[in-house]
Amino acid sequence: MASLTLSFFLSFLFLFSPALSTNSEGNALHALRSRLSDPTNVLQSWDPTLVNPCTWFHVTCDSNNHVIRLDLGNSNVSGTLGSELGELKHLKYLELYRNEITGKIPKELGKLKNLVSMDLYDNKFEGEIPKSFKKLKSLRFLRLNNNKLSGSIPRELVKLSNLKVFDVSNNDLCGTIPVDGPFATFPAESFENNRFSGPELQGLAPYDFGCGST
Amino acid sequence: MSSLFLFLVVLTALLGVCHGENSKDTYWLLRIKSKLVDPERVLENWSPAADICSWKGLTCSPDQIHVLGLNLSGSGLSGSIPNELQYLTSLQTLDLSLNSLTGPIPPELGQLQNLSILLLYSNYLSGKIPAEVGLLKNLQVLRIGDNMLSGEISPNICNLTELRVLGIAYCQLNGSIPIEIGNLKHLVSLDLQNNSLSGFIPEEIRGCKELQNFAASNNLLEGDIPPSMGSLKSLQILNLANNSISGTIPVSLSSLSNLTYFNLLGNRLRGNIPVEFNRLFQLEVLDLSRNNLSGTITLLNTQLKNLQALVLYDNALTGSIPSNFCLRNSNLQQLLLARNNLAGQFPMELQSCSSLLQLDLSDNNFGGELPSLLYELENLTDLLLNNNSFSGNLPPEIGNMSNLESLYLFANMITGRIPLEIGKLQRLRIIYLYDNQMSGRIPRELTNCSSLTEIDFFGNHFMGSIPETIGKLKNLALLHLRQNDLSGPIPPSLGYCRKLQLLALADNKLSGSLPLTFRFLSELRTITLYNNSLKGPLPSSLFLLKNLKIINFSHNRFSSSIYPLTGSNFLTALDLTNNSFSGPIPSRLALSRNLSRLRLAHNRLTGTISSEFSQLTELNFLDLSFNNLTGQALTQLSGCKKLEHLLLNNNQFTGTMPSWLGTLQELGELDFSSNNFHGTVPAELGKCSKLLKLSLHSNNLSGIIPKEIGNLTSLNVLNLQSNNFSGPIPSTIHQCKKLFELRLSENLLTGSIPDELGGLLELQVILDLSKNKLSGQIPSSLGNLMKLERLNLSSNQLQGEVPHSLGKLTSMHVLNLSNNHLQGRIPTTFSSFPLSSFMGNDDKLCGPPLVSCSESERQGKKRLSNSAVAGIIVAIVLTSTVICLVMLYIMLRIWCNWRNVSISTSDGGGGGGGPQHNNKREDQVRWAAFGYWKVASLALVPSQDKENSTSSCIFQLKVDKEAIENT
Repeated sequence: MASLTLSFFLSFLFLFSPALSTNSEGNALHALRSRLSDPTNVLQSWDPTLVNPCTWFHVTCDSNNHVIRLDLGNSNVSGTLGSELGELKHLKYLELYRNEITGKIPKELGKLKNLVSMDLYDNKFEGEIPKSFKKLKSLRFLRLNNNKLSGSIPRELVKLSNLKVFDVSNNDLCGTIPVDGPFATFPAESFENNRFSGPELQGLAPYDFGCGST
Repeated sequence: MSSLFLFLVVLTALLGVCHGENSKDTYWLLRIKSKLVDPERVLENWSPAADICSWKGLTCSPDQIHVLGLNLSGSGLSGSIPNELQYLTSLQTLDLSLNSLTGPIPPELGQLQNLSILLLYSNYLSGKIPAEVGLLKNLQVLRIGDNMLSGEISPNICNLTELRVLGIAYCQLNGSIPIEIGNLKHLVSLDLQNNSLSGFIPEEIRGCKELQNFAASNNLLEGDIPPSMGSLKSLQILNLANNSISGTIPVSLSSLSNLTYFNLLGNRLRGNIPVEFNRLFQLEVLDLSRNNLSGTITLLNTQLKNLQALVLYDNALTGSIPSNFCLRNSNLQQLLLARNNLAGQFPMELQSCSSLLQLDLSDNNFGGELPSLLYELENLTDLLLNNNSFSGNLPPEIGNMSNLESLYLFANMITGRIPLEIGKLQRLRIIYLYDNQMSGRIPRELTNCSSLTEIDFFGNHFMGSIPETIGKLKNLALLHLRQNDLSGPIPPSLGYCRKLQLLALADNKLSGSLPLTFRFLSELRTITLYNNSLKGPLPSSLFLLKNLKIINFSHNRFSSSIYPLTGSNFLTALDLTNNSFSGPIPSRLALSRNLSRLRLAHNRLTGTISSEFSQLTELNFLDLSFNNLTGQALTQLSGCKKLEHLLLNNNQFTGTMPSWLGTLQELGELDFSSNNFHGTVPAELGKCSKLLKLSLHSNNLSGIIPKEIGNLTSLNVLNLQSNNFSGPIPSTIHQCKKLFELRLSENLLTGSIPDELGGLLELQVILDLSKNKLSGQIPSSLGNLMKLERLNLSSNQLQGEVPHSLGKLTSMHVLNLSNNHLQGRIPTTFSSFPLSSFMGNDDKLCGPPLVSCSESERQGKKRLSNSAVAGIIVAIVLTSTVICLVMLYIMLRIWCNWRNVSISTSDGGGGGGGPQHNNKREDQVRWAAFGYWKVASLALVPSQDKENSTSSCIFQLKVDKEAIENT
C-alpha cells in the first residue's frame, strides 16, 4: 500500500515538475484566476502552460513580455485577491473595477512600484487601505470608491507626490483627512459618504486620533 | 428403551434418504449444468453415465453418498446462479468465484443448511444480498465481493455467529455498517473496502473479539474512530483509508499490540499523532497521510523496530525529525514526510536510517546546507528534497549513493557546481535540479550516468556549452536546460539521444546552427529553442521528424525556408516569431489538423496564405504580422472558426475586409492595421461579440463607420486611425461601454462629436479624434470621462467654447485642442497645459496659459458676429481718422498760430514728437506681454499699423513660452 501511495505521489510530482516553468507573472495571474469565480468565462484564455501570459485576454505586456496592464473591469468576477498580485512587478494599470470582489486589499499590492493606476472602485473590498501603498511612488490614479473600506486614510500616502486622483468616496472610512502633499488638491467629493471627522488639524496635535474617538 | 428404538428407526430412514439423495443430486446437478453457460466445456464430464463423485468440481463424502463440495471457481461460466443449487442440501462448500455469472444471488441458497463456505466473489452478480443468507447457520466463510451488489448490508448476516470471514468489498453497497456486526464473535476478517458505505463505524465492533483484519477503505464513513476499537487485541490489519473520518486518533489504539498494517490515509483527522503509538511494536506500515494532523513527529524507529514504511505526507506537522529516530539495522525503507510544515536543518539523524530506500522531505520548510553525511544512505533509490530552502553546494559524496534512481532537489537555493562525482551514479534515471542558483559548467561526467532518462536544470546559472558527450545518454527522453547562461553551439551528438521526446534549450545564449544529426530525433515531440542566438537555414532533414507537436524557435536568427519544420502532421503549436525566415508559408502546415497556435510574426515571409488553411479548424491563434505577405480576400481563413487572435498587421494584404469575419464567434483580437485593405468595414463585424481589440489603422478603408460597431460591447480598444472613413461618428459607439482606448484620428469624419461619447466612462488611455473634419461644439458630456488621460481633438473644425465640464477631468495629462475654431475662456484647470494644446484657434481662446480674458470677455459678452466686429472696426477707424484729421487741423491751426507768435524755438519741437511716440509704443508692447493682453485686441492697438500688431503678437508669444520653459 505504501509503495502504491509512493508511486501515486511520484506520478503526481512528475505531472507538475518539468513542463511548468517559474514564469512568475503567469503563475501569479493563474493563482488569481483560481481565487476568482468567473461565471462569464472572461478568464477562459488564461492557459498556464503557455510560456508567458502575454497572449491571454485582458492581459497586456510590454515588449519584454512583462505584464503592464490587467483589465478585468466590469467582468462579473467575484472572490478575493491574494498576495500573488505583488509578483506583477512591472504592472502599470490594475483595473479591477465594477466586480464583486470581496475581502481585504492585499498589502502586497504595495510592491507594484511601477503602478500608475489602481482602479478597485465598485467592489466589496473591506478592511483598511494598506499602509504599504506608500511605496507606490509612480501612482497617479487611486480609485477605491464604492467599497466597504474601513479605518483611516494612512498618513503615509501624503508622500505620493505623483498622485493626481484619489477617490475613496462611499466607503466606511473614518478619522481625519490628510491635507499635505497631493491631498491639498483633491476635491471634497473624493471623500464624501464616509465617517470622516474632517480635515486634519495641522500643528496642534499629532495626526492620527484613530477612529471612533469622537 | 423406547428411545433406542426410536433412534434405530430414524437411522434407517436417514440411510434410505441418503441413497435416494445421490440419484436426486445427479438429477439436480444435470439441471444445474443445463442452466449454466459453459463456453470452456468444463462441465463436459458431468454425464449420467459416470459416477457423480468423478464429476469435475465435485467433492463427495468418503462414503460416496453425499455431495459435500462444489468448486467451479475460475471456469469461465456465465449465466445466472441456478436456483436448483438449493436441492444439494448436503453441500458444505460452494465456490463459484472468478466466473462471469450475472443476475442476483438466489435467496433459495438459504436452504443449504450445511453450508460452511460460500464463495461467489469476482463475478457480475447484482441486486441485493438476500436476507436468506442469514439462514446459513453453519456458515464460516462468506466471500461475495467484487460484484455489482447494491443495497444495504442486511443485518441478518450478523446472525451467522459462526462466521469467520466476511468479504463484501468492491461492490456498490450503501447504508451503514450494521450495529449487529458485534454479534460475529468469531469474525477474523472483515473486508468492506470500496463500497459506498456511510455513517459511523459502530461502537459495537468491539464485540468481534477475534478480528484480525478490518478493512473498510474507500467508503464514505464519517464520525470518530470508536475508542473501543482499542480492545480488538487480535487486530493485525486496520485499513480505514479514504473515508471522511474526523476527530482525533484515539490513544486507545495504541493497545493494538499485534497491529502490523495501519492505514488512515485520506481522512479528516486532526490533532496529534499519539506518542503512545510507539508501543505498536509489531507495526510494519503506518500511513496517516492526507489528513490535518498537527504537532510534532514523536514516533521513533527505535521503538517501532519492525517499521518498514512511515508515510505522513500532506498534513500540518511541525518541528523536525526527533534526534533518536533512527534504528541501526532497521527495516525502515520508506520515510515520506512531504507537504508538511517541518522545518530546521536537514535532520542529521537520518544518516543512521541506513536501510532507507525512499526519503521524501519535499514541500517543507527545511533549510541550511545539505550535509555530506546524507550521502551515506547508500541504499537510497529516491531522494526527494524539492521545494524547501536548502542552500549550499551539492557535496561530492553524492557519488556514494550508488543505488540512486531519482534525485529531486528543485526549488531550493542550492548554489555551486554539479560535482564531477555525479558520474558514478549508474542507476540515476531522473535528476531535477531546476529552480536553484547553481552555476558552473554542466560536467561532462554527467553523461556517464547511462541510465538517465530525464534531466531538468531549468532556471539556474549554468554556463559554458552543453557537454559534447551528451549523445552517450541513449535513454534520455527529457532534456530541459531553459533559462541558464549556456553558450556555444548545440553539440551534434545530441542527435544521438534518439529517445528524446522533449528538448527545451530556450532562454540561453546558444549560437551556431542546428546540427544535421537532429534528423535522428524521431521521437521528439516538443522542441523549444526560443531566445537564443541560433542562426542559419534549418537542415532540410528536420522534415524527417514526424512526431513533432510543439515547436518554438522564436527570437533567434534562423533564416531561409520554414519548410523543414512541416514534416509532422501532428503540430499543435508552431512559433517562429522574430527570426529572418523567408519564402512562403508552406501549405503543408494545413495537414496538421490540430494546429492551434501559428505564430510567424516579424520574419520576411512572402507570398499568400494558402487556400488549404481553411482546413485548420482548430486554429486559435494566428499571428502573421510584420512580414511581406500579399494577396487578398482571405477566404482561406473562413473555415478557422475557433480563431481568437487574428493578427495580419504590417503586411501588404490588399482587397476588402471579408464579411465572414462576423462568423468568428470566438474572436477576441483582430489586427489588420498597416496593410492596403480598402472598401468598407462589413457591418457583420458587429457579430463578433467577444471582440476586445479591433485595430484597422493605416489602411485605405473608406465609407462610414458601421453603426453595428456598437454591438461590440466587450470592446476595450478600437483603432481606426489613418484611413478614409467619412460620415459621422456613429452614436451607437456609446454601447461599447468597456472601451478604454478609442482612436479615430486621420480620417474624413464629419458632423459633430456625438454627445453619447461622454457615456464611455472607462475611456482611459486616449480619446483621439484629431485630423478629421468634425464640426460643431465640443459636447459638455466629455466632462464625464473622469479616467481619461489623453484627449486629442486637434485639427478639426470645432467651434464654440471649451465646455467648462472638461476642466473637471483631473486624470487628463495630455490635451490637444489646437487647430480648430474654438473661442472663449478655457477652463482654469487647463493653465498647466502648454500653449501648443490650444494653438491655431483663430486666436480666440483666452485664459491661462493664453492671454487674459479681461478684455476679450467684454467682447465675448456681446457675442458679436465677425461682420459686426468688422463694422465696428471700420467705424472706429473712420471715427479715429476723422478725429485725428480734426485734431491735426486744429493743431495745424494752433501751430500756425504759435509759429506766428514765436519762431525762435522751432528746432527741437518738430522732431521731438516722433521719439516720444515710439517710446510709448514700446511701453505698450511690454505691458501687453506681461499683462496677458489678448493678442488681437484691436481696441488697444492703433488700427493704422497692422504690421506692428502682429509683430507684437509674436513677441508676446515668445516671451510667454520662455516664461513657461523657465518654470
